Amino acid sequence: MAGRVITITSGKGGVGKTTFSANLSASLAKLGKKTIAVDADVGQRNLDLLMGLENRIVFDLVDVVEGRCDLSKACIRDRRIPSLQLLPAAQTRDKSAVSPDAMRKVCDGLRPLCDYVIIDCPAGIEGGFETATAGADSLIVVVNPEVASLRDSDRVIGLLEAREKYDMRLVINRLKPERMRRGDMLGIDDILELLAIDLLGLIPEDDYILVSTNRGELAALNPSESPAGQEYQNIARRMLGEEVPFMSMDDTSGLFQRLFRMFKSK
Amino acid sequence: MKKLISKLFGFDPSEDDAPQTSKQAARERLKLALTYDRTSIGYNALEQLRDEIIQVIAKHLDLDQEDISIQLDRTMDQDKLIASIPLRISTRSRSSRSPATMNTVPSIRRRRPR
Repeated sequence: MAGRVITITSGKGGVGKTTFSANLSASLAKLGKKTIAVDADVGQRNLDLLMGLENRIVFDLVDVVEGRCDLSKACIRDRRIPSLQLLPAAQTRDKSAVSPDAMRKVCDGLRPLCDYVIIDCPAGIEGGFETATAGADSLIVVVNPEVASLRDSDRVIGLLEAREKYDMRLVINRLKPERMRRGDMLGIDDILELLAIDLLGLIPEDDYILVSTNRGELAALNPSESPAGQEYQNIARRMLGEEVPFMSMDDTSGLFQRLFRMFKSK
Repeated sequence: MKKLISKLFGFDPSEDDAPQTSKQAARERLKLALTYDRTSIGYNALEQLRDEIIQVIAKHLDLDQEDISIQLDRTMDQDKLIASIPLRISTRSRSSRSPATMNTVPSIRRRRPR
């Protein structure tokens, strides 16, 4: 196996990056792909909590980097989906505990163990971001349809391009179709034009996410209850090369349709 | 009342008169902010550029300095510096202000061609 390393990043915090990382990992695993989710947010770990695995942590990423245990031992196997594992971050250390080089080594160690490595990147553009993106083969940029998120992610995209990382896809999270129709929310076309990267997914605002994260359950595993959960699965299927239509926003004229066709033709 | 009048006179107020939606405002503000972010030119630098361009062109042409606008704009292909510089042509024109506009469009190559 030669796993693909994908870092989930956003620039701004609070846009749903960790929720997305957890649910994308679960969706890929559910489709039969061996997936390891890695929490790169050293000192402020949350991926464990969102995946409901917080009480099973023995070793973490920093233990691996500092040689106290080997990779496969630090990964926690999810009992709900056997093909899903989590490599948690350390909670008592800070971002400087893992260097970009150390992360590259971790990624190289994980690739043979799985099909996908999904790295949850911390917010910001400092050292933690450098580390989380260092070993990535490709990136998924998660944004919300609001000005601060879009400006921060444009900065992130610029930094990644300066490091010659061009394989980036966009996920727009927390869309509210009703507000888009009223002209209160930036449209898909607007966002794609501003950021100029390819679209991977559109995720609607979904009240079920709070409920599922409260319980440590994954919305992607319960798509009949959760529109967002359904879309996490769709994104995973698109990543595996399936043609899955984007959810309708009633704002899908012109450019957006063309982009969709471009995506399909790949 | 406004609605009634517009109905009577048969035009749709949503076409010209409608206030800008917050979506349009967000779009325009972001477009500008991202353009400045990416070219790493500040608002002040643009003001200075404007003054210098005026100085150079004023040596050769009679300008209407009040109406000069210089701004950055983004399209899908490139970032552009757009200068709109109205000229004052006094001879034989009916009004002192000519509609002739000189557009200079030096383009800054965009970092991300698409």
